[in-house]
Amino acid sequence: MIDLPIRLLAGGFAALSAAVPATAETVRIAGFGGQDAAVVNGLITEAVGDRIAEAGIEVVYEPIEGDFSQFILNALSAGTAADLFYVDIFWADAVFRSDQAAPIADQSVADALLPNLAAAFTRDGTLLGIPKDFNSLNVNYNVDVFEEAGVDVPDADDTWAEFEEKLVAVSDALDGEVAGLCLVPDYARFGPFALATGWEPFDADGRTVLDEDFRRAFAFYTGMADSGAGVVAADVGEGWMGGCMSSEKAAVALEGGWMIAHLRDAAPSMVWNSTLMPRDPETGDRGNLIFTVAWAVNPASEVQDAAQELAAILTSPEAQQWVLEEGLAIPSRADLADNEWLQGDDVAQVASRNAFQGTGDGQVMPYEFGEYGGAWMEPINSALNAVLLGERDVDAALADAQAALDRLTGHDG
Amino acid sequence: MNGANALAPAAAAADADVAAPGPRGRMPLGALRRRQLAALFWGWLALVGLVCLFLGTFVIAFLASLKEDPLESPFRFVFPQIQPSAWFAAADLGAQAGGGAFWGGFGPGADLLFSATWAVPPGETLETPVVEVPRRVPGSSIARALTTDYASDHAAVEVVAVEETTVTGPDGALWPAARHTWRITHAGGGPLVDRLPFTATVPRGQVLIDADLPVSAMERRGRTASWSNLAPGALGLVFDNYRRVWNETVDISSGERLFPWWLLNSFLIAAGRVAMIVALASLAGYALARLRFGGAGAVFAAVIFSMAIPPQVTFVSNYLVIRDLGLLNTPWGVIVVFTFSAHVLLMKQFFEGFPREIEEAAIADGASHWQVFRHVVLPNARPALVTNAIIAFQAAWNDFFWPFVLLSSPPSSLTVQVGLLSLRQQGAGGESDWGLVLAGAFISVVPVVIVFLIFQRRIVDNQLSEGIK
Repeated sequence: MIDLPIRLLAGGFAALSAAVPATAETVRIAGFGGQDAAVVNGLITEAVGDRIAEAGIEVVYEPIEGDFSQFILNALSAGTAADLFYVDIFWADAVFRSDQAAPIADQSVADALLPNLAAAFTRDGTLLGIPKDFNSLNVNYNVDVFEEAGVDVPDADDTWAEFEEKLVAVSDALDGEVAGLCLVPDYARFGPFALATGWEPFDADGRTVLDEDFRRAFAFYTGMADSGAGVVAADVGEGWMGGCMSSEKAAVALEGGWMIAHLRDAAPSMVWNSTLMPRDPETGDRGNLIFTVAWAVNPASEVQDAAQELAAILTSPEAQQWVLEEGLAIPSRADLADNEWLQGDDVAQVASRNAFQGTGDGQVMPYEFGEYGGAWMEPINSALNAVLLGERDVDAALADAQAALDRLTGHDG
Repeated sequence: MNGANALAPAAAAADADVAAPGPRGRMPLGALRRRQLAALFWGWLALVGLVCLFLGTFVIAFLASLKEDPLESPFRFVFPQIQPSAWFAAADLGAQAGGGAFWGGFGPGADLLFSATWAVPPGETLETPVVEVPRRVPGSSIARALTTDYASDHAAVEVVAVEETTVTGPDGALWPAARHTWRITHAGGGPLVDRLPFTATVPRGQVLIDADLPVSAMERRGRTASWSNLAPGALGLVFDNYRRVWNETVDISSGERLFPWWLLNSFLIAAGRVAMIVALASLAGYALARLRFGGAGAVFAAVIFSMAIPPQVTFVSNYLVIRDLGLLNTPWGVIVVFTFSAHVLLMKQFFEGFPREIEEAAIADGASHWQVFRHVVLPNARPALVTNAIIAFQAAWNDFFWPFVLLSSPPSSLTVQVGLLSLRQQGAGGESDWGLVLAGAFISVVPVVIVFLIFQRRIVDNQLSEGIK
């Protein structure tokens, strides 16, 4: 009598076992929650699902809500991290310095990537993560506002002075109803101006020197509040430049490709466009920051080879082309700059094209500060805040920032 | 009688004392009463103030959860979602659009008439609005991945009437105006689409006066009147954010809705913790209150001391133990991580107040300690047990730290509190989608309120007085 249930159970288990290929290796991958869950799901089911199946890999995606960096660093310490995981350039150094990322098996993939992106995840000549996508800053502008003000829209040839002049003209023409730009005390937005001067975050001794070039950029950025080109974002009830633009409190926002999705939701009827960052009138160059995330392989993974293979598949040309053409992110492969989709005139296409172009135009650096992490930006952000709020003048604020940076970098002796 | 007579002069003297200020400045009776009333009034006012402060934030958060833009500034207390006229209009439009009066939608057979009026200052020319059913692709990739049907693929719009009129403008003068009526039809077959977005663009200076359904947003510096959904239905208008919580919390890979799972997980974890806490706390509390054993003082001191240790201190060791037990990403891992020192203390205090006579009577009848505990003490401890259970349930339901640390995958394994975090990140561009967050937060509150309402009477239901009669 009991034979029948046992046979049925055994049959059921056999059927379940048959559903998964005998050779399939399960690779756990961890990344951001929210929007990224949809992107990764699209990749592993639509774009490269067949290749993953052919490789005998079964993917389990673990989208992490909340602070991913804390989660993954804890998980790596506890030995519970996924086999393949996101590494954001902002905190990648902490992972790389503690040898928590295995060298990428196919080092030649670096040659196919945008050089700045490959360099951001390379330590001592070894590629430790394959950048999956990136973003840089654009000048995004509201076409209606410029038309209403009778002012030419920003363009790629603008110098800082011309850019500022246009913003002041917009604000004046609309009686201050719309500011030119919202200013935020954040290196992530001010940084491109400093880099455009040729200034570099660290000198040969590892010291941060806020030199005359830096001061010039700093004075220009904070001076836009005095010239009427900009207002402090907090003064108009906003926390970021994009929020000012979508609420039509500002004509321009220096933001990245994330503005495409933001404006779709917050201002779906807005007529807008984007162009490259303005040039420093002295050097003639522009600057920019690169925000990027890579796939890194867990060196403690028990399915090391499968994880390496999956990383290669997820950043393969077909995967990246799918990501690009779906308008989900800006992929990291250099040859996609010539992709037909990127030549279109849709705002998303223009913004993505600008981002590609922006990585190789002028001084472009990754948004990361080595062993100091986000703490490196704090003195500069404090200085920006103090000047924008009128609490300190430029020289006093920069002197404070220099002293704080020297303490941080160990050059205060 | 004599006694009453004897008291009368004393009472009169007392009245005289308070009626006329004595040498120490006693207050007249009327003034004293006024002062008492004033004190009562201020006390009452303070209580009302506190209630308004705590309940007010709750009410404002709830109102905000109904709005299309919960962060709108300045905050409006009157908005379409709470206006009956808008409910009726939304129901009517939802029914016309083929989606029904309650939840709306745009489906086959839709034949919807929609009117709106624009005006211009005297001397200027009224232009015909350029209308469109736009293709609104959600910015958030989650919503974007889930949205496959768009009303714009099926809708046809035609003008059916233009009625010229005049309205009183903001300057008090009569402004020329025109009321436009459009017919929006669903061409052919196709699915029922949740939303029917609609925009009408006019030159600057032309002002929208009114419309059958309140406008969702004015865009392009007042040129474009934008309705996010022209056929919302009454409930769809009011509870759109709540519907979005239900529809947009989906496991992309499996397609299953997540919010019911999150609620179920939270409930199971809370129930498991309550069962363990009540069982262990009552046993430990009784042992510490009644049993004499070596080291009882030390155990009690350890219980008290452990209350001072924040859970984060034991986080790493607990995490590693749970990892080694293979309980990560299981509800059991979260159930077994709890602290119950405070509950032990509560039960110990209760048992110490329990009449010894009752226990002694049971022991005299030959009952063992366990029988006394099980059959005599425990049935009478229901108020303390229920109090403990409610406190434990509330703490477990609201716990964020341990579920966040121990549960990460799959998405259906999360608790509702951790799941709410994912709502925060669903906004396009990475910023928060507060409509979803607020609606999700209010849904998460409901089970705790229900539990409290069901059990709150049990807290004061005490049969001890009957037991010692």
